[in-house]
Amino acid sequence: MAIRAWVPAAEPFALLQREMNRVFDAVFGKHFGVGRARSAYVYPATNVHETEEAYVVECEVPGLEMDDLEVYVTGDMLTLSGTRAETIPSEGASLHRRERDTGRFSRAITLAGPVQGDKTEATLAHGILTVRVPKAEESKPKRIQVKAEK
Amino acid sequence: MTKPIDVAVEKNRDPRETPESYFVPATDVYETAEELTLVAEMPGVRPEGLAVTVEDNVLVIHGKPEGREAPAGELLLKEFEVGEFYRAFQLPADYDTEKIEAGIRQGVLTLHLPKSDRLKPRRIEVKAE
Repeated sequence: MAIRAWVPAAEPFALLQREMNRVFDAVFGKHFGVGRARSAYVYPATNVHETEEAYVVECEVPGLEMDDLEVYVTGDMLTLSGTRAETIPSEGASLHRRERDTGRFSRAITLAGPVQGDKTEATLAHGILTVRVPKAEESKPKRIQVKAEK
Repeated sequence: MTKPIDVAVEKNRDPRETPESYFVPATDVYETAEELTLVAEMPGVRPEGLAVTVEDNVLVIHGKPEGREAPAGELLLKEFEVGEFYRAFQLPADYDTEKIEAGIRQGVLTLHLPKSDRLKPRRIEVKAE
């Protein structure tokens, strides 16, 4: 089952741009651009793994603390939002290079099946947010005992 | 003040030390009267995976995703890859490289490079003649 990443506003264009960038990066090598999520036009860059028990969502959020992040699960939708603070002093500093983005962000990811939102666990370590959303009982695979007929 | 500029890695570094493929960390560089500050994003890099070196005024930051394990299961959405971060900066000869301070928190490396004393603004006492 595919997972859909919902991109606020300008969705078709952002998705097209992301796909083109991905192809471009694949052809011209990894160190073509600066940073990782920069060319994706979505923040934070996210990987999703599915196990039999849960969906595991990993997001790259360097520099953010847990207090800067809001994580919600509504139905089968995971919403992440927060603010990337400005770290450059506004006075008394001259700027040589500015590549890190700042400001408010919000992102929603539709999970591929029903989940138990109240049992979601989120951890933040070394700039990676990991959200584990357990699947609803009815959507976990169950092994059916096959009996031999007599 | 000369800006620190990226250097062509191949010309300046031992190729054995340069990773074959790497990500270039997004970096802010700003300067105050006292020091130059570099702030580089390296999500997933822990202190033990990070190396910061200065040689002939070339500052090299190299982060490896040591101790990082990908979750089990089937990959449904992939927007980032796990790999090494690498970047080199040519520094003007105005910094006291002995006194560089480095710290990493939540995947963000912050480097403080103090200016050598002769570059710091100094008030000249004006005497009435």
